[in-house]
Amino acid sequence: MTQIEKPKPALDAKIIVPFINATREVFKRMLSLETEICRPLLKTEAGPHYDVTGLIGFSGSLIGSAALSFEEPAAVSIVACFAGQKMESTSPDFADAVGELANMVAGRAKRDLAGDASITIPNVIIGKSYSIAALRAFPCLIVPCRTKAGDFAVQISIKQMAAVPNAGGSQT
Amino acid sequence: MDFNLNDIFQLAGTIWQATLGLTIEPEQPDAIGSCGRATVACVQITGAWNGAVFLSCPADFARRAASIMFNVAPASITVSELQDAIAELVNIVGGNVKGLLPDGCHLSLPQVVEGADYSARVPGSRMIGRVAFRCDSHAVSICILEKVETKTVAA
Repeated sequence: MTQIEKPKPALDAKIIVPFINATREVFKRMLSLETEICRPLLKTEAGPHYDVTGLIGFSGSLIGSAALSFEEPAAVSIVACFAGQKMESTSPDFADAVGELANMVAGRAKRDLAGDASITIPNVIIGKSYSIAALRAFPCLIVPCRTKAGDFAVQISIKQMAAVPNAGGSQT
Repeated sequence: MDFNLNDIFQLAGTIWQATLGLTIEPEQPDAIGSCGRATVACVQITGAWNGAVFLSCPADFARRAASIMFNVAPASITVSELQDAIAELVNIVGGNVKGLLPDGCHLSLPQVVEGADYSARVPGSRMIGRVAFRCDSHAVSICILEKVETKTVAA
């Protein structure tokens, strides 16, 4: 009989919780949507795959990326709540809206994350057949989220960088 | 921020020669069209200057690059190795572009997307330079995007 080892935590809760809180807050304040957070899962090479992804990079004291990912119908519905009007997924404004949502969630989460990190401009990927590479040294946690407008996922693949001691510095 | 596109081309030539042992030939950016399965890798720069460096190539070129980097037959290359190879290339290009920028810039980790039917957009940015070239008959391009400063609504 095979013994199953208890898996080690993929990511520090101190990193995950700010993203969950930020998602809830942004969706409530900007889209008037309550968000139900479901059980997180570790991303594997096999997927899941999404049609629309708003990807934000982190650099500085936190490195990695965070993403909001949707199936297309949910993305169209959620963007309509955000923008106040329905947009086709082929419209440039649709990509702008997805990027802005991702930017808001990452920006809000950054405020609660320790350290001095910068977030990048969003990268929005839209299509039916693509995969985003998972960095080997960076496990990616998928947090499935449910709203009345549709389901989506927050993907978090971020590590805290070790602080570099200040040479010659001392605290009293 | 202005980049000399000839400098970027020279930079790419040096990197391709040093990491892959391959030479590159200049190509007109307009001559590069859709090429089926494609790999797009990006590193973003934040701090004193905000923008991104994109590397786009056919999946076949990504496979060739990975084959050289990992010293494995092209047919045996996995998707992860293919993505790692292009991530490494864009990371080197981005690191060199960062070297042309003022102090106080940070480089993000590479993001790599691979597939056949997708588009990648960077809202809130403008393209300030694009260099296209051919390597082993494959069309490759490097784009530099700069963040457009706009007022955003705080969440």
